[in-house]
Amino acid sequence: MAQILEVKGLTKRFGGLIAVNDVSFGVNEREILSVIGPNGAGKSTLFKLISSFLKPTSGEVTFKGERISNQAPHIAARKGVVRTFQETTIFRNMSVRDNVIVAHQLRAKASLLGFFLGSAEARRDEARFAGSADEILSFLGLDAIGGELARNLPHGHLRALGIAIGLATNPTVLLLDEPFAGMNHDETMKAVAMVRKLRERGLTVLLVEHDMPAVMKISDRIVVLNFGEKIAEGTPSEIQNNQRVIEAYLGVEDEAIGL
Amino acid sequence: MTKKIIGLLLFLIAVFVVAPWLIAATGRTDLYYVFTSVALLSIASAGVWLTFYIGRINIGQGAYALMGGYVSAILVMYYGWSFWWTLPVAGIFCAVASILIGVPILRLRGVYFAMVTLILTEVMRLLALAVPITNGAKGITSIPLPGPISLFGLALAPDFATLENPRIAFYYLSVVLMTVCFALMYRLVHSRIGHICLSLQQNEELASSIGVNIAALRVMAYAISSFLGGLAGAVFIGATQSIYPSSFTVTDSVNFMLNCFLGGLGYVFGPMLGTLVLYLGWNLLFSMEKYQLLIYSTAMIVLMLVLPNGLLSLGAKRKG
Amino acid sequence: MEQVIANGLYLGAQYALIALGLTLIFGLMNVLNFAHGQMYVLGGFITYTVYGQLGLPFPIAVLCSGLTLAIIGGFMERYLFRTVIRRSHREESTMLLAAATAFFFDAVMLLIFGEKQRGVPKIVKGVFNDYGIILPYDRIVVGAVAAAMILSFIAFMKYTKTGRAMRALAQDRVAAQLMGVEVDRYTMIGFAMGAMLAGVVGGLLVSITGVNSGIGGPISVKAFMMIMIGGAGVAGGAIAGGFILGMMESVGLTVLREYGDVTYLVIFAALMVFLSIRPNGLMGKPWG
Repeated sequence: MAQILEVKGLTKRFGGLIAVNDVSFGVNEREILSVIGPNGAGKSTLFKLISSFLKPTSGEVTFKGERISNQAPHIAARKGVVRTFQETTIFRNMSVRDNVIVAHQLRAKASLLGFFLGSAEARRDEARFAGSADEILSFLGLDAIGGELARNLPHGHLRALGIAIGLATNPTVLLLDEPFAGMNHDETMKAVAMVRKLRERGLTVLLVEHDMPAVMKISDRIVVLNFGEKIAEGTPSEIQNNQRVIEAYLGVEDEAIGL
Repeated sequence: MTKKIIGLLLFLIAVFVVAPWLIAATGRTDLYYVFTSVALLSIASAGVWLTFYIGRINIGQGAYALMGGYVSAILVMYYGWSFWWTLPVAGIFCAVASILIGVPILRLRGVYFAMVTLILTEVMRLLALAVPITNGAKGITSIPLPGPISLFGLALAPDFATLENPRIAFYYLSVVLMTVCFALMYRLVHSRIGHICLSLQQNEELASSIGVNIAALRVMAYAISSFLGGLAGAVFIGATQSIYPSSFTVTDSVNFMLNCFLGGLGYVFGPMLGTLVLYLGWNLLFSMEKYQLLIYSTAMIVLMLVLPNGLLSLGAKRKG
Repeated sequence: MEQVIANGLYLGAQYALIALGLTLIFGLMNVLNFAHGQMYVLGGFITYTVYGQLGLPFPIAVLCSGLTLAIIGGFMERYLFRTVIRRSHREESTMLLAAATAFFFDAVMLLIFGEKQRGVPKIVKGVFNDYGIILPYDRIVVGAVAAAMILSFIAFMKYTKTGRAMRALAQDRVAAQLMGVEVDRYTMIGFAMGAMLAGVVGGLLVSITGVNSGIGGPISVKAFMMIMIGGAGVAGGAIAGGFILGMMESVGLTVLREYGDVTYLVIFAALMVFLSIRPNGLMGKPWG
């Protein structure tokens, strides 16, 4: 199968500290792949490296064979690799609908000058964006609160808004940053269903997470990090029985991890 | 929509009919100079406002006003250019300079950017003192008044030197520029570009995750801002016919920023109203002599306590 | 050479103390206190009045400067800044307030003390002249007092309950609140302390350079530069920034003297280049 996103020998050093050490794996088209690991394993650094929000010390990330690492973050987004943030990162003082509309920028056919002058192309863009934003909002069950100011939303909705913003860019690969963090069981189940729906939309999903049960339920494949290195890769059942993974988790934290 | 048109008409009537009529009726022709200043300073403030709109506190507009003023003065005095041609050149010169300066410093955020721009004003003053062509502290004086200009045979402006009172001509020139500038700003902010600027103001990382080239957009906004600063500075120098390193100082930079705050950072016309109130307020208090600054600053503190979101938030509150 | 270093250290100690107050206020409430220089000038005028006019001992005069400014600072935080921070949509609004208070101080001082340069009798007579260094004794005393105050400030922040609470507050307001730190109270104390430091330095320096009502603005700009060099909101950064600026001035005034008034032009240019390489100064936190 074609690997749409490839991580090759990715390494990141902060001073003397190696946060991510020579990590390689590939993501298949329309796959849900999760990166897990104990606290401090380098998950969020890896996430930022893949989304181009950090530049690697060595190694590279390619999307459909083109390098997206080592460039400004908007370049990855333009090629189709888009990340979401944890919940506080939204356009706080805009309405929910405006948040999604403005995020359509990548789909614009008109130039900035065209938007300034209000050209026909720009007006068509605006109409398309409004329609598409409404579709995305109803897809994620946010249509009733489109007019609310984003900063007034409750937590659950903020997470969904983050994903809506990501979807507006029409990504090929959506990177989700701990989509289940801080959720109770019911909320997690809803979010799991939502991620599945994303795949049905045709998206490839890569997520970084440490809620084990959810990850086991949702992923096609899992990559496990510990101390910055990849220690295992495989299907949920393979990972569940992997001795190194069990040791890594038991060695670091005793809390229930659902293995 | 009709409301907007009525508003625009009222504004045009006030600026082009009522104000000159009032001045003529009262015989206070000195007020022309006051209103010219307000118009030009509000153009410069509009630039500062735009940098606020992308989330940067700009206390460096004085630097570009000074730069624009010197570009115009030097071109007119030493190279024999027509005043009119120096206006776009001064604006573009400042825009280009601001791109060179902006690329590194726009990476700074919050107070760091604010302080660097504040220092930029001081740098420009010291440069004007040090560089030979600006003639040091003595400045450039006796700059000739603008000559006539026509476009395709249509006379746009007469020779200012032949006019009985060139101040009236400068008044009209300034308010025309101000009207055009604010109309374009209004369009910019209410177009998609404005929404993207707003997204930048609220979260740069998120904006870049949706594919916005935040670095380019920041530089663009800053260049527009500096263009307006340079343009305003050039016209101002034309009106006063002289320029010194102290023509625009840190105080002016701070005032441009205050104009924006006072009018309201969320409203395009905020800087215009802010400039009008602050400038007129300061001048009206002139008769208070030594209590001028005391009353002025007290009024500002009180205003801040009562309306921390600017004067225009008053109208918005009533609406919402 | 020794002379240049001695001058730099003496200047640096003063500057560091000014910057510490500014950075404390900034770290606690994210407010850039435009009125900091004016607070310094006010401190100078109070010492001028108490020591120079009323003839009381110099230490008491400096103490009066510090106390008065602390009280003023406390009131400013409680009745001005707190209100505006709560009611404004954008936290930058505090800059307008700070600028307005700076104008207000300028106006008040101009009315009370006039425009003239004011000085006081020397606190210690005589000049130190050895090891190739010429330094008046009063400068040495003032420099030493400033250095001692910096050390006690650091100790205070490290070892007292108040100091620790303020550090927690500066690091993470929300977390500090959750941990039970009384945010309002310590913010007010912090603002008062910042103002006090400005007042004390003003009081100390009036004995050497004198004071006039117009220097508040330039002092503020210098203080901004110091905390930018070191990194805003970090005590160590303020101290480093103060000493670095003091040293640069001292070197610049010696080396560049023949080129006229370009020292500051060079310092400014260097600072802008430096900041574009290190946007958060030597040790500042991102966003300040």
